[in-house]
Amino acid sequence: MAVAHPLDRYLRTDRLPTMWCPGCGLGILLGCILRALDRRIREGSLRRENVGFAGGIGCSARMTLYPYFDSAHVIHGRAIPFALGVKIVKPEMKMIVVGGDGDIAAIGGNHILHAIRRNADLVVIMANNMIYGMTGGQQAPTTPRGLYTTTTPYGNPEREINIVKLAAALGANYVARGSVTHTPLLEQMIYKALGKRGLAFVEVLSTCPELFGRHIGFRSPVDLYSELRKRVVVKTRPSVEESDYSWERGFVIGEFVDRDEPGFIEVLQEYTSRARGGAG
Amino acid sequence: MRVDYVTGNTAIALGSIAAGLRFYAGYPITPTSDIFEFLARELPKRGGYVVQFEDEIASINAAIGASWACAKSMTATSGPGFSLMVEALSLAVITETPVVVVYVMRTGPSTGVPTRSGQYDVLQATYGFHGGLVVPVLAPATPQEAFDLTVRAFNVSEKLRTPVVLLSDATIAHTYGRVVVREPGEVEVVERAKPSVPPEKYRPYDPGEGLVPPMACFGEGYNVLVESLTHDERGYYAPRSDVQRRLMWRLYRKIVESAPELFDYGAAYLDGCDVALVSYGSTSLSTLVAAKILRSEGYRACSIRLRTLFPVYEEGIRRLLNGVGKVFVVENNVGLYYRELRGVLRGSEVVSVPIIDLDLPQPREVVEVVKQWL
Amino acid sequence: MGSATAVLRVPTGKYFINVVKERCKECGLCVFVCPTKVLDKGSERNSRGYRFAVPVRPEKCIGCRMCEYSCPDFAIFIEVGGG
Repeated sequence: MAVAHPLDRYLRTDRLPTMWCPGCGLGILLGCILRALDRRIREGSLRRENVGFAGGIGCSARMTLYPYFDSAHVIHGRAIPFALGVKIVKPEMKMIVVGGDGDIAAIGGNHILHAIRRNADLVVIMANNMIYGMTGGQQAPTTPRGLYTTTTPYGNPEREINIVKLAAALGANYVARGSVTHTPLLEQMIYKALGKRGLAFVEVLSTCPELFGRHIGFRSPVDLYSELRKRVVVKTRPSVEESDYSWERGFVIGEFVDRDEPGFIEVLQEYTSRARGGAG
Repeated sequence: MRVDYVTGNTAIALGSIAAGLRFYAGYPITPTSDIFEFLARELPKRGGYVVQFEDEIASINAAIGASWACAKSMTATSGPGFSLMVEALSLAVITETPVVVVYVMRTGPSTGVPTRSGQYDVLQATYGFHGGLVVPVLAPATPQEAFDLTVRAFNVSEKLRTPVVLLSDATIAHTYGRVVVREPGEVEVVERAKPSVPPEKYRPYDPGEGLVPPMACFGEGYNVLVESLTHDERGYYAPRSDVQRRLMWRLYRKIVESAPELFDYGAAYLDGCDVALVSYGSTSLSTLVAAKILRSEGYRACSIRLRTLFPVYEEGIRRLLNGVGKVFVVENNVGLYYRELRGVLRGSEVVSVPIIDLDLPQPREVVEVVKQWL
Repeated sequence: MGSATAVLRVPTGKYFINVVKERCKECGLCVFVCPTKVLDKGSERNSRGYRFAVPVRPEKCIGCRMCEYSCPDFAIFIEVGGG
């Protein structure tokens, strides 16, 4: 595969350009993930052949089509159990789950809940563009109340999910919210997430100009990007209580949780070795 | 090798260990949970992992993931759980993932009678998922067969890179029987083919001369692609009719053309048989007795139990029943597998004997129904 | 038509600004995020009809890479050198 860009060594360049619409934030996020991986691989804290991606269905999950690593594009909402299956039998793998807000917070809600409860050793990156993009702009659990989507033509009556609070409450080792409008910070969060044991959860505010921006008056990529940037509030080490997720009050980004409890895999291995030591 | 006295469910668990099971993903459901509990105790002793997931959907997806990390994987469930698994089984079909699903049928539909038996799901086991392809379905009738067919299910799954359904039922699940238990190393075990080319030349869905592509796993440096979209040999999404045709026919042919090799049955009183009682699973225990009764009453009856339900080996079945005057398909449902056999045995007289019973159709009842047609 | 990885390489003095023409989708984000307004939409189109970004004031480049980090399409990158 031909090389031009410094990240090309980690890309299936024969599949570029990506399938995403012009100005879609997902490509920015993919760049941040690959740069964070590049740092880990260069410094020797990760081996390239031990990195695997898994994604469900949706524009965000299609991020799995492009990295030149082991990669799985599975079914809607189920990338987390797939990735955990890999991780349990091959603990040396660093499994990165990428998915959208619909994939992870709606249809995959049960899996993210229990993966966090287990403190399963996965890096889960949830791209949140506040909409169902691939299917044409329907309401998502992350769509701020009051906004217009194709399935809420009179405004979204539902309360939006603040998944940072969920992840923190259930005991993930690392919980951060970043934004594609703040790339160095986002890259740093992902770099850190890649070094954690247990579950590392990064919510990433992203832009869907085509199907989110269009319905709320920000049709061009630059308009939506600059609107999101205005509504993002960067905080240093904010508490979980400060994790506002609100179109009006703003979206607080930062690292909300950073702890180091044993991850599921090492506990599972310890318990499994008891079986071998005991009854043999 | 040892001889033990165990239930069908335990025999399945023992068979999976013999076949090299390394990962069991489970969710409790009657009447399968004792497979799960047995493995939770025994598999970790042999270096395997048993994990309870949040639902059947997670279980099957985790099993598929583990298979892509080169671990032989299995899950077990019953009707309600299998219904939740079918979307992922379709994923296993298109991604050609070896995985064994134990389906212990219980009385349905819906919650039905969870602790009792039935054969209502025989068609769902192979036709239940979207995409219109066939997966192998093996059906044991005794604890010994449960052991043997579990080993076979793994071997078929690895060889053909396909999900395989081991179709049992609540009666077999909790019936004790004598089982010759073989240990790992004492049974013939098939492993999936590995790529012989270096990573840069590897194409994960390229079958080469055959129909089944060699399979690289996560973590081996092959940059594998597990792709649920219609894909070409590289694993790249290709929404084109020619690619879809090539993929569909290969996935179809690799199973259907294996039918002769997969065909397996047990028969009694076959000599001079003119009245064949065909069944599968626990119902075969009733038909065996029914055939014996009919014989004692002067009828030239035989009993045939099919151990491979899908793919249907049409020629094999026709040859087996060649010259038999009447074929009775006895099953504990409204007459489902009968439809398969009726199509295969055009020209012969094929009669459906559907007897619904929470346990087993009673042999006497089978005899009575059959005699109405003789 | 240039090859899929044909690069427009513009020296700024201290850096090279590189645009992979065929990957650009004309979203304008690089133009928007550049703090010194180095870039603009060009007039030339790639094979997909997009007017790829071009450095119109290369000498203003401070090498911050905001364009590179904000490009969703791996279509622009900065190299140190050329000065």
